[in-house]
Amino acid sequence: MIRRVSTTSSLSATAFGSFMKWSFKSSHFHGESLDSSVSPLLIPGVHVFHCPDVVGIVAKLSDCIAAKGGNILGYDVFVPENKNVFYSRSEFIFDPVKWPRRQMGEDFETIARKFNAMSSVVRVPSLDPKYKIALLLSKQDHCLVEMLHKWQDGKLPVDITCVISNHERAPNTHIMRFLQRHGISYHYLPTTDQNKIEEEILELVKDTDFIVLARYMQVLSGNFLKGYGKDVINIHHGLLPSFKGRSPAKQAFDAGVKLIGATTHFVTEELDSGPIIEQMVERVSHRDNLRSFVQKSEDLEKKCLMKAIKSYCELRVLPYGTHKTVVF
Amino acid sequence: MMMMRRIISERATCVSKNFILRSSASRFHGESLDSSVSPVLIPGVHVFHCQDAVGIVAKLSDCIAAKGGNILGYDVFVPENNNVFYSRSEFIFDPVKWPREQMSEDFQAIAQRFGAMNSVVRVPSIDPKYKIALLLSKQDHCLVEMLHRWQDGKLPVDITCVISNHERASNTHVMRFLERHGIPYHYVATTKDNKREDEILDLVKDTDFLVLARYMQILSGNFLKGYGKDVINIHHGLLPSFKGGYPAKQAFDAGVKLIGATSHFVTEELDAGPIIEQMVESVSHRDNLRSFVQKSEDLEKKCLTKAIKSYCELRVLPYGTNKTVVF
Repeated sequence: MIRRVSTTSSLSATAFGSFMKWSFKSSHFHGESLDSSVSPLLIPGVHVFHCPDVVGIVAKLSDCIAAKGGNILGYDVFVPENKNVFYSRSEFIFDPVKWPRRQMGEDFETIARKFNAMSSVVRVPSLDPKYKIALLLSKQDHCLVEMLHKWQDGKLPVDITCVISNHERAPNTHIMRFLQRHGISYHYLPTTDQNKIEEEILELVKDTDFIVLARYMQVLSGNFLKGYGKDVINIHHGLLPSFKGRSPAKQAFDAGVKLIGATTHFVTEELDSGPIIEQMVERVSHRDNLRSFVQKSEDLEKKCLMKAIKSYCELRVLPYGTHKTVVF
Repeated sequence: MMMMRRIISERATCVSKNFILRSSASRFHGESLDSSVSPVLIPGVHVFHCQDAVGIVAKLSDCIAAKGGNILGYDVFVPENNNVFYSRSEFIFDPVKWPREQMSEDFQAIAQRFGAMNSVVRVPSIDPKYKIALLLSKQDHCLVEMLHRWQDGKLPVDITCVISNHERASNTHVMRFLERHGIPYHYVATTKDNKREDEILDLVKDTDFLVLARYMQILSGNFLKGYGKDVINIHHGLLPSFKGGYPAKQAFDAGVKLIGATSHFVTEELDAGPIIEQMVESVSHRDNLRSFVQKSEDLEKKCLTKAIKSYCELRVLPYGTNKTVVF
C-alpha cells in the first residue's frame, strides 16, 4: 500500500531505514530523474473515532492531520438520528518523517481525551504489527481453507498465530501440510459435553487481537468471552435471525425459502445473536436439493466471512447501540 | 389479454368467427391479405402434477402435437427421492383445429390415465380472467400498486371487490379509483371478538383466489376451509424471520444488513405458509427506521406483484407440505 509521490517542495534529506516495506510500483515523473530528487515516501494511515456528538469534531480531527502534512483521501462520518454519538473513519497518507508514528498516537489520543471518546484507534498498516488471530473450527474446514488460501495470497492482512480444533486431523491432509509448511501450529483440543476446555483455549489465544470461529461448533461461554476480552467473529451459514443453531441449510431447505444466506457477526453469550457485521444471499428454488442448499451456503459463508474480516482489519466495523454495527 | 400472435401459414384455411381478438397486422411480402386466410394461433398453458412414471412427457407432448399445437416452452421437474412429476407447457394452437372444450377433455383423459393430483389448462384469451378479491387494512400502498398495474393491463385479473376493516373517505385516491372502475369497496369492521369471517366469506365466495395486501387480521382455519381456494399474502419481512406485526421495525432493531419481503400462501399458522417469492435489499447503519420501512414497502409491492403474476400464469404449484414449485 505504499505509494511514491513526488513533490516539488524542499527536499528533505532523510533516512529511509526505518521503513519495513518498500514497494516498487514505479511511477514515472516527467523530467525528473530518480537521482536529483528525494521525495518523501507517503504511507497510508486510518483513524476511527467514536465519541459523544458535539460541534467541531471533524474540524479538530482534520486539522490534526493537516497540521502534520497528512492528506485526507477518504472520510466517513456518521451521526445517527436521535442519538448523540459521532462516528468517523478517515483514510489519509502522510510522511512518517514529518509525523512519526508515536507522535501520531499521542496527537489522536489528545483529541480523544478532549472529546471523551469511547473509541479512538489509529492504524498505519505498513508500520504497525499485523493483527494476530487464532482460527477455531470443528470438523468442516472449507472456511478455514478459504482463509488460509487468501492469507497466503496476501489478501488477509493478519498473522495467524494458531489453529485450534476439537477435531483431530491426520498429518497428511491438505490443511495439516499447509499449516506445517507455514509454521502455523495446530492444537487439537477435544471437547466433551461437560468440558469445553475453555481455559486451555484461553491460554492459547491470550496474545491474539481477535478470534475467528470458522465453523467452530461449540458455544463459547460468557466466562470465556469476558476472560478473553477481545472481539470474536463467527460465521453462520444462515440468514440470521432465521435458522439459528445447527444445520441452518437444512432448516432453510425444510422451510421452503427462496433465498438462503450467510451472516458474519460478533459472538456474544447468546447463540447466533451478536451484532451483525455482514450478510449475503443467494436465490434457491424447487430445483435445489439439500446438497445444493448446503453447497450454496458454504460458498456464501466463505465470501461473507472474508468480507467481514477484511472490513474488521481495515477498521471499518464499529459497535452501534447494543447489538448493531456501523460498517463504513 | 394481449398474448395473441398472428402467424401466417401457407395453407389457405377457413377462419371461423369464433376469434375474440385479432391483433395487429403483419406485413408479408408478396401476399395480400385477401388471397390467404391464415389461422390465428393463440397461446395455451398446461400444468400437470402426478405420480412419476415413464412416458408422461411423451403423452402430453403427443396430445398437443396431434392437434397441431406447437410447444414453445416446457418445464419438467421431478424431485430427487420423490416420486412425483411436475410439468408446465406453453404452446400455441389453432382453436378451430383444437376447440377449447376438446382440449380440456383431451388433457383430462391423460390426467385420469396418470392419476394426476392436478391438471390445469388455461387459454388466457378465451378463458375468463381470474376473479380476485383484495383485502387490506390501513396501509394501502400494496393495493394502490395492484390497482395501477391492473389498470395498465399488467395484472390479468378481474377485481371483484376490495374489502377492508378500515373505513376510507370517499374523496381519497383509492376510493375515487374504485368508483371510476366500478369496483365495490366493502368496509367490514372487525373487533377482537368478531372477525366477521362469515360476511367476508359471502363477499368472496365467487372469487378464484384472494390477495391479502396488508390485511392485518388473521384468517381462521374455518375461514380457509370454508373458502377452499388459495389465499396469497404479502409479508414485508424475510420469512421465517420477523413474523407478525412491524417486521421492518423488528429488522431495524435486530441490526440486520439485509431486509426483504415474502409472498406466501396463507395457512392457519401466521406467516408460515408455503413461500412463493422472496426479495431482498441491502441496509446499513445509514438507514433509519423510516428508510427500513420505505425499502420494505418497495420490496413488498414488487414481491406481491411478481407472485400474483406467477400464480396467474400457472407457474406456482404445491410441493410437499410447505413448499412451492415456481416455474
